[in-house]
Amino acid sequence: MEWASQLCENRGLGSKMTDSKYFTTTKKGEIFELKAELNSDKKEKKKEAVKKVIASMTVGKDVSALFPDVVNCMQTDNLELKKLVYLYLMNYAKSQPDMAIMAVNTFVKDCEDLNPLIRALAVRTMGCIRVDKITEYLCEPLRKCLKDEDPYVRKTAAVCVAKLHDINAQLVEDQGFLDTLKDLISDSNPMVVANAVAALSEIAESHPNSNLLDLNPQTINKLLTALNECTEWGQIFILDCLASYLPRDDRESQSICERVTPRLSHANSAVVLSAVKVLMKFMEMLPKDLDYYGTLLKKLAPPLVTLLSAEPELQYVALRNINLIVQKRPEILKHEMKVFFVKYNDPIYVKLEKLDIMIRLASQANIAQVLAELKEYATEVDVDFVRKAVRAIGRCAIKVEQSAERCVSTLLDLIQTKVNYVVQEAIVVIKDIFRKYPNKYESVIATLCENLDSLDEPEARAAMIWIVGEYAERIDNADELLESFLEGFHDESTQVQLQLLTAIVKLFLKKPTETQELVQQVLSLATQDSDNPDLRDRGYIYWRLLSTDPVAAKEVVLAEKPLISEETDLIEPTLLEELICHIGTLASVYHKPPSAFVEGSRGVQHKRLPPRTGSGESTETPDVGQSGPSEAPPAVIPSQGDLLGDLLNLDLAPPTATVPSVQPSMQMGAMDLLGGGLDSLLGGDIGGSPSMGAGLGAAPAAMPASLGSAPAVGGGLGDLFDLGGGVGMPTGSYVAPKTVWLLAMKAKGLEISGTFARRGGIIQMDLSLTNKAMSVMTDFAIQFNRNSFGLAPAGPLQVLTPLSPNQTIDVSLPLSTSGPVMKMEPLNNLQVAVKNNIDVFYFSCQYPLSLLFVEDGKMDRQVFLATWKDIPNDNEAQFQIKDIHLNSDVASNKLQGSNIFTIAKRTVEGQDMLYQSVKLTNGIWVLAEMRIQTGNPNYTLSIKCRAPEVCPFVYQCYELVLKN
Amino acid sequence: MISQIFILSSKGDHLIYKDCILTTGLLVALFCLCLYLLILLQSHKGLHFIHVRQGGLYWVASTKTNPSPFTIIEFLNRLAALTKDYCGSLSEKSVRMNFALIYELLDEMVDFGYIQTTSTDILKNFIQTEAVSSKPFSLFDLSNVGLFGAETQQSKVAPSVAASRPIMSSRGEQNEIFVDVIERLSVVIGSKGVLMKADIQGEIRIKCFLPTCSEMRIGLNEELSIGKSQLKGYSSAVRVDECRFHQAVKLDEFDTFRILKVCPSQGEQTVMQYQLCDELPCAPPFQLFPSVEKDYVNRVLIFLKLRCDLPPKSTALNVSITVPVPKGSTSMSQELSSPDQTAELQPKNKALLWEIPRFPGGAQLSALFKVDVPGLSSASLLEVGPVSMSFELPKQTCTGLQIRFLRLSPTQTGLSQRWVRYVTHSDSYTIRI
Repeated sequence: MEWASQLCENRGLGSKMTDSKYFTTTKKGEIFELKAELNSDKKEKKKEAVKKVIASMTVGKDVSALFPDVVNCMQTDNLELKKLVYLYLMNYAKSQPDMAIMAVNTFVKDCEDLNPLIRALAVRTMGCIRVDKITEYLCEPLRKCLKDEDPYVRKTAAVCVAKLHDINAQLVEDQGFLDTLKDLISDSNPMVVANAVAALSEIAESHPNSNLLDLNPQTINKLLTALNECTEWGQIFILDCLASYLPRDDRESQSICERVTPRLSHANSAVVLSAVKVLMKFMEMLPKDLDYYGTLLKKLAPPLVTLLSAEPELQYVALRNINLIVQKRPEILKHEMKVFFVKYNDPIYVKLEKLDIMIRLASQANIAQVLAELKEYATEVDVDFVRKAVRAIGRCAIKVEQSAERCVSTLLDLIQTKVNYVVQEAIVVIKDIFRKYPNKYESVIATLCENLDSLDEPEARAAMIWIVGEYAERIDNADELLESFLEGFHDESTQVQLQLLTAIVKLFLKKPTETQELVQQVLSLATQDSDNPDLRDRGYIYWRLLSTDPVAAKEVVLAEKPLISEETDLIEPTLLEELICHIGTLASVYHKPPSAFVEGSRGVQHKRLPPRTGSGESTETPDVGQSGPSEAPPAVIPSQGDLLGDLLNLDLAPPTATVPSVQPSMQMGAMDLLGGGLDSLLGGDIGGSPSMGAGLGAAPAAMPASLGSAPAVGGGLGDLFDLGGGVGMPTGSYVAPKTVWLLAMKAKGLEISGTFARRGGIIQMDLSLTNKAMSVMTDFAIQFNRNSFGLAPAGPLQVLTPLSPNQTIDVSLPLSTSGPVMKMEPLNNLQVAVKNNIDVFYFSCQYPLSLLFVEDGKMDRQVFLATWKDIPNDNEAQFQIKDIHLNSDVASNKLQGSNIFTIAKRTVEGQDMLYQSVKLTNGIWVLAEMRIQTGNPNYTLSIKCRAPEVCPFVYQCYELVLKN
Repeated sequence: MISQIFILSSKGDHLIYKDCILTTGLLVALFCLCLYLLILLQSHKGLHFIHVRQGGLYWVASTKTNPSPFTIIEFLNRLAALTKDYCGSLSEKSVRMNFALIYELLDEMVDFGYIQTTSTDILKNFIQTEAVSSKPFSLFDLSNVGLFGAETQQSKVAPSVAASRPIMSSRGEQNEIFVDVIERLSVVIGSKGVLMKADIQGEIRIKCFLPTCSEMRIGLNEELSIGKSQLKGYSSAVRVDECRFHQAVKLDEFDTFRILKVCPSQGEQTVMQYQLCDELPCAPPFQLFPSVEKDYVNRVLIFLKLRCDLPPKSTALNVSITVPVPKGSTSMSQELSSPDQTAELQPKNKALLWEIPRFPGGAQLSALFKVDVPGLSSASLLEVGPVSMSFELPKQTCTGLQIRFLRLSPTQTGLSQRWVRYVTHSDSYTIRI
């Protein structure tokens, strides 16, 4: 009540100046005074008193105490007094339900009064009193009033049904008021029809599936007749109702259109817009080759133009609607470009909306005019508007190809003004123009580069960097330019950092000789000194790409970019259709479906345009001017970029480029990274040098595992993550030395090294955890990602004591093979997450397949023979194992230690043939034939398996076992 | 569907509050805050507020559903107009004094959020309360005269105080009727003096005090042609592109004789709206010959020569010319041709403003401005312009539309006074340099 009392104070002040006697401040005892006056015998005095009561009520004072006294005044012949009393009743009946009953008798009596005004007044007021007890008494009088002889009473009663439905829907249905209401649609008085339609529409909205508003050609005909006669507001109800009707065929929809068209010249713009809505909807059904269709298109333009002569607020509402209409049917307004030219005194919201429509309407026919205007706008005072105007020039260039050259020269003129924000906007749009017309306007790059220093906004800087990177081969000092940006790398916004990273990588791929240092610098800035995960990950991906396969990197990074679409920020077609059905409503201003902002069930139904009828289908051709936007809804650019697009650094591109799959080949050491890359890049030699190094092994550890499963990425990128891990392959009793899996610097001081072993049929992961941080680490836990053989920890990670700084703990984690299975690439890859009290860290490693060779893998001879024959020869793989100086028996024993069992041995012409079998934990059998020629250190291994993808890994095991 | 209607004073006090569906709480206090943002559409907790401002008051409607903002804005404008018709003038005071009347009006106009009627003809059958005039009526009070169709600065044109009198008042019964032709002109003139774009929005408004509803015939120029294609020979036909009529207007004689037949209800209404795009039947009223040059290091010379191309008998009033100047302009000196003109630099708006109270047709005025701009560069000269003008042309229509006659039938008993007035405003008049 605080604000109420404040209002009273204001009122007190106000009353000194005005002589308004009703608003004098309440003093103590005023209620009593009013009470006395209300009970006065004199009618005039009573009336004045009631007025005073209502004045207090308006201000927010509580005058409910006077309820009985006011109700006493109800029985009067004076209509003015009666109205005042009813006004009071409406406000306070709810808070005083018991006393409201006192009024019922008078209501019922008034409903039978001789004066229709009193009858209508009574039934109107009763409907506004939301007290259940009164509702019961309302039904009888309402029934009578619905059939009253006076149309004024009937129209009031029609609305009263809607009121009653709002209070008690069941009651309305039980009492059969809905049917009476339907009958009123055929009433002789247009006002009654309008109200009945309004009430029914309202009720129908809360029953989405009921066929309440049973529209058929007969009722439609009645509505159309009433449309011509009723008040403007009634026309709006009827038109809105018509819009929800679905005509049976194109003929019917044409006849409705014909009868609605005269409403377009109504003075009330709400009527006009409702009529536009009906026409836009029903036009959908008309065949396009029909003459009438063309006529209708012509008729729609002038009223829409006229809407723009209203106040700015209404103009804005109109423009938002026109924006929708232009997107749906650009041909309606294609000749009306001039009305959307901006006036200098338009408010900014009108200006911006007009600009948007101008671009949508721009075509080859009018582009010259539009450009001239836009150029003028670009020199105006309002910064926001100027920016948008410069953008608009760019959008024109992209939309109308013929104008691109002129647009570019206009933009260059604007850049010459050196007005800071104009230059920046111009550079941003020129970037888009380059994307749309590659290799066409590069001559302007020199001019752009001159303005490098004046760019202070991230978007403009990013755009400029993109241009430099993209055309690095044509800009002599591209490396200097980019280097100058690199100096303040950490102060730049993420957008700029990302662009800079990509641009320098592009530069490196184009001019590898001179820019090694630069790329190394930016990669280390991005991966090591940045906290931004996007930047870091993009850095890693580039790093990995460059180090793995620079040629592939070139293909990925410098891939052909998909062209950008001409139309940007179009409304999605289904939403557009729904919004067209809501033309003229709030939804069309917000450009949101009503369900997005209307509470409750009301208005949640999704409306759809009617389907086009068959007759016009075949002849449907774009009948717009030569270069006008075509009829088909243009592809809408997806708003969220995907990872692939991100990698290619495409701002707007749909994911069409394919990433060449990168071989999971050997990595090079970090130090050697660029050297190796450079060699192969220059020499075109893909083989690469198999120099092993552990340096990069830990790199992917910092990448969140979830990145790898991004759906758009597919196999190619998945490979990128799987490069880490095992260098030395342990086997059997021989367990490889531990290798570092997780670098301390990547994991906030936790270093993990480890290896795998199979001991007595139990698979174990041996880990060394080293704390290289300053604080104690506790709460260790471990988890595996799904993998090819379902490896999973068989128990918790047993780190019982906290790990103090510089301490190392060795843990052996037993593994089971009953975890969830997902095929990995490479097959033996394992992604691991380790958690401690500081954070969660991810790394991946590779386990030797021998880990999975089970002890009972010795196959029966006969079975072996049969199986060997049974497996198709396509599944056979041959390998060479070099430099082994063992005889066949020693080799056989050695292999047996790793559960590779020799079943038979043959000697033919000095050549030993060993037949061997291996069984994996998941039941896959692997059969092998190893040929050993005495004196030849090279063994030939043939492996046959029903799952041939395991063969290379089995071969790896052979090699490791035999060499150790 | 409307949920609530408020009329708020400029301070945010609520003068009138009607809850149409009685299920929403009072949220005015909140709305008052929103008002300071002055946004047309506001939403809060599923309630959408729409307001217009008229007569220093806020007319607000709230809604929970998805209605047409056009409907609501139209309605609020109509409500304001009706309040003005009934109470005589729009002010906080008159609304307070007539609150009972306004509640009564609202009751008849809106039922359960559905707009019922806004026509005075229908309403007068139901309205019981007498209006309380906030001002004693005096024939000698000429201060509050003006065309009611537009907010105009001009005064003392029409010989009546009609505009501020309640239409329903039983006192001062005068059989007066006013017909105003109001045109708004928007023009863009290119840098070489070429007319690039011209638009005229016009309307014919009547305000009627005749108590009995009789038919009125308004005769327009007989040679008036409508539509783009109907160019009739070489005659200087008066032409408009498109027109819209009030639904009460009967058009059976319009096609042949250009006569509008209307039974005006009491109060104010727009009978006809029309527009003309792209072509002006006469030369644009003003031509500007600017020259902008760099004087010395930090000074810009702007020389403006302005010619009024109206016929010699006409005059333009309240002409003001706004010239954008370079950013950072600090001071200005000027040479004007007569003392009643003024000029000032508005550094905040980066513009200079030159005002001429009265500009006779055929005359030519010139002015020289020297603007000091520290750090002037050649690019900053580009910031000068475009020039925008505002003015009004009394007794003048740019389309040439005239009212030939105004006949009431049957002829009114007693004296009936008929006034016809014309005015053209500049809506947006831009001259590019």
